[in-house]
Amino acid sequence: MLISSQRDEAGLQTTGNPTTTSSVEGDVVRDHLFRGATAFSGAAVFALVLAIVLSLAVGASLALHKFGVGFVSSTDWNPVTETFGAAAPIYGTLVTALIAMLLGIPISFGVALFITEVAPGWLKRPIGTAVELLAAVPSIIYGMWGLFVFAPWFAEHLQPWMQTYLGPLPYVGALFQGPPMGIGMLSAGLILAIMVVPFITAVMRDVFATVPTELRESAYGLGATTWEVVRYVVVPYTRTGALGGIMLGLGRALGETMAVTFVIGNAQRISTSLFMPGNTISSALANEFNEAVGDVYTSSLLALGLILFTITFVVLAGARLLLGRIGGRI
Amino acid sequence: MDTMYRQTTESEQGPAQPAAAVTEMTAPAARAGKVRVKDLDFFYGRFQALHGISLEIPANRVTAFIGPSGCGKSTLLRTFNRIYELYPDQAARGEVWLDGENILERRYNLNRLRAKIGMVFQKPTPFPMSIYDNIAFGVSLYEKLPRRRMDEWVEWALDKAGLWGEVKDKLRQEGTQLSGGQQQRLCIARAVAVKPEVLLLDEPASALDPISTAMIEELIDELKADYTIAIVTHNMQQAARVSDYTAFLYLGKLIEFDTSENIFTKPRETATEEYITGRYG
Repeated sequence: MLISSQRDEAGLQTTGNPTTTSSVEGDVVRDHLFRGATAFSGAAVFALVLAIVLSLAVGASLALHKFGVGFVSSTDWNPVTETFGAAAPIYGTLVTALIAMLLGIPISFGVALFITEVAPGWLKRPIGTAVELLAAVPSIIYGMWGLFVFAPWFAEHLQPWMQTYLGPLPYVGALFQGPPMGIGMLSAGLILAIMVVPFITAVMRDVFATVPTELRESAYGLGATTWEVVRYVVVPYTRTGALGGIMLGLGRALGETMAVTFVIGNAQRISTSLFMPGNTISSALANEFNEAVGDVYTSSLLALGLILFTITFVVLAGARLLLGRIGGRI
Repeated sequence: MDTMYRQTTESEQGPAQPAAAVTEMTAPAARAGKVRVKDLDFFYGRFQALHGISLEIPANRVTAFIGPSGCGKSTLLRTFNRIYELYPDQAARGEVWLDGENILERRYNLNRLRAKIGMVFQKPTPFPMSIYDNIAFGVSLYEKLPRRRMDEWVEWALDKAGLWGEVKDKLRQEGTQLSGGQQQRLCIARAVAVKPEVLLLDEPASALDPISTAMIEELIDELKADYTIAIVTHNMQQAARVSDYTAFLYLGKLIEFDTSENIFTKPRETATEEYITGRYG
């Protein structure tokens, strides 16, 4: 040990090439810097999440103290008497997202399957590009289109039809009552569906494309039809990734603000009928922060934000758990 | 050089009568051709991959297709069940006769064709479902069977592929959990389960370890009693071991087709000889 270390020192002092040594040392320093920088970036993510949750919680504490658990269950939203309850926007958020998913998932499936399995080669690219363009349209455009084009058309043509044919049905009929105004929960859900389709489609197209050619050919080689190949091979093979795409869409549907604000009608109440105006958490926030006077009002809005954050977090965490379980099974 | 690319006149009309030493049993022309290929051209877009292939694949025998990479041997196999039709830019021209019908004609029903001609690929491709369902899936495409009958059918197919003993206690497990060799035998069982008449094996053992390869080769030997087998292989020893007939393809042309014994001991073409002795490819 002693001898070798002496020799090393001697080597460094006498015969060691100074340039190589310094460049090696420089590499080490740079590597340390690089590691430090990436570690800092990683830590910043945690810090940001924590900071956002903390500031939301601090801001919301006044309202949460004042109204307690009742804040979540009460539909009362009265700035004059300063009594606030979040049930209506929570309900609106969940219902519009549900409508968006119910309509958006099958359509996305269809589009993605058409692109990967059915469409002739020359058509795949144009459709794929169109889907990507849809995803790139800013949400305010969807909002404007929804309000000025979609809502009037919806009120004039689709809503009367729904009232006539779906209204009399038992149970679900109650969802299609009331004046056809064009705006309301159903319109918001439909616009959201249009907005989530490109996201879910893009993910599904990519995961469907991961099915190995040989697996596909094996199924076709047994005499399976396109439908049978899709149903029994492509979809089961890609269920994890497809679920990831659905969750991405759901995340967007829950948090979407501008387009929903345009067409939902912004009424703080829960109605059975989907034709009636309602509210979502994000549209309530967008609408009311300007006019929020007084600490309790502001604090209630921040509490709404905290609830939205929690809902999104629970959905994402649930998706992760689900993906983990399914992933383990494959 | 010229002889290397030249297609022999013999192979154009099927091989000529082999040398006197060869018994009647092993001569290609002596057995009824189960699959008869006539003047087959194949195109990937504008690229012509097969040039006027004509040969007869004898019933209940193993026919091997050998040749260097890109010679068209897999392409030839893929015309027999028209799997290439999944890709719009691929096209075959010519005739492939199976039981007196030209399967390349558009009106020949694809499902019927694929029920008659099964295929196993290079990589094991178990479907994302249980071992049981991997077998039952193909069967149920053609027949709706009561549960008990299906159970018997699955057992029969797995037994046929020499896999029953290994998996009979875990039929509900995912097929992907088996070892590579077991997966490949599952795929063979799956192909056998629909009771085809012809089995196409596209390098079925090239992704497997030596022991699994030996099992697959034994299996091929057993299966030929009931099926006509066409196998593509890169492995010359394997072709010599398992096949009764061997076709040598080079640059999309059939160079020589004869009994495996003749091909591997006294090939007529210099190109064949150079290939099997490892001088190129």
